[in-house]
Amino acid sequence: MLSQWLFYAFATLSVLSALGLILSRHPMNGAMWFVITLVSLAGLYSLLSASLLFALQLIVYAGAIMSLILFIIMFLNIQPADIPVENGRWTYLLGGCLAVVPIGLLLMRIVRSLPGGEVDIVGNGFGKVKSVGLVLFRDWLLPFEIVSILLLVALVGAVVLAGKKEMNQ
Amino acid sequence: MIHDYLFLSILLFCLGILGVISRRNIFTVFMSVELMLNAANLAFIALARLHENMDGHVLAMLVMAVAAAEAALALAVVILLHKHTGKVDTNVFSLLKG
Repeated sequence: MLSQWLFYAFATLSVLSALGLILSRHPMNGAMWFVITLVSLAGLYSLLSASLLFALQLIVYAGAIMSLILFIIMFLNIQPADIPVENGRWTYLLGGCLAVVPIGLLLMRIVRSLPGGEVDIVGNGFGKVKSVGLVLFRDWLLPFEIVSILLLVALVGAVVLAGKKEMNQ
Repeated sequence: MIHDYLFLSILLFCLGILGVISRRNIFTVFMSVELMLNAANLAFIALARLHENMDGHVLAMLVMAVAAAEAALALAVVILLHKHTGKVDTNVFSLLKG
């Protein structure tokens, strides 16, 4: 069954590259690993027949947000000497595992109690631009407007914060 | 089968928490937060597929917009901190203590 194999391939890829993100020392390497995670998540969205979200994940997340992060990492020109020394990294990782594993097991129990189902690619416009847009602009109009205001405020805030030095002079 | 997607989402979320807990590099911490948002998105879309209802897709789009706003603001703060201290260490955030 092709979709099953594709799921396992994408899942392995995303988990391995997430591990690469949290283990790599230089943020640039971590960002490159994270791009692989985002692209494999886009593949998983397409397996769930969310074609609009597949495109948005590639364009907005892997394209816009990651290029912004990469731009800032390059802009700050981080030398190997500037990277914080993390001697207790493995200790914190082990302690974090102790804290996180019970939460994960609890969540997995909750998921097991949910009704399951086989997933295949569905037709009849599920997840296509038109049907998602109809839901967005009929049922979710107010949240959409609130998010647009949030984006505007974030834009103004970013400009004010990053350009502070020039404003004081 | 839908459970596998939810298990993967839980695993990615836990990896994101681990990244936030164990790292001090501010970019890695920031990208771990983004990883947690993506895990939540995967859960939204898997459940939307399970119920054949597109509200989950709309919520995932809203989460993406919030992540973009968060990225812009957080990176502006990182630039400010780097201007002040020349470091990318989360420990410099202790200067925000009162």
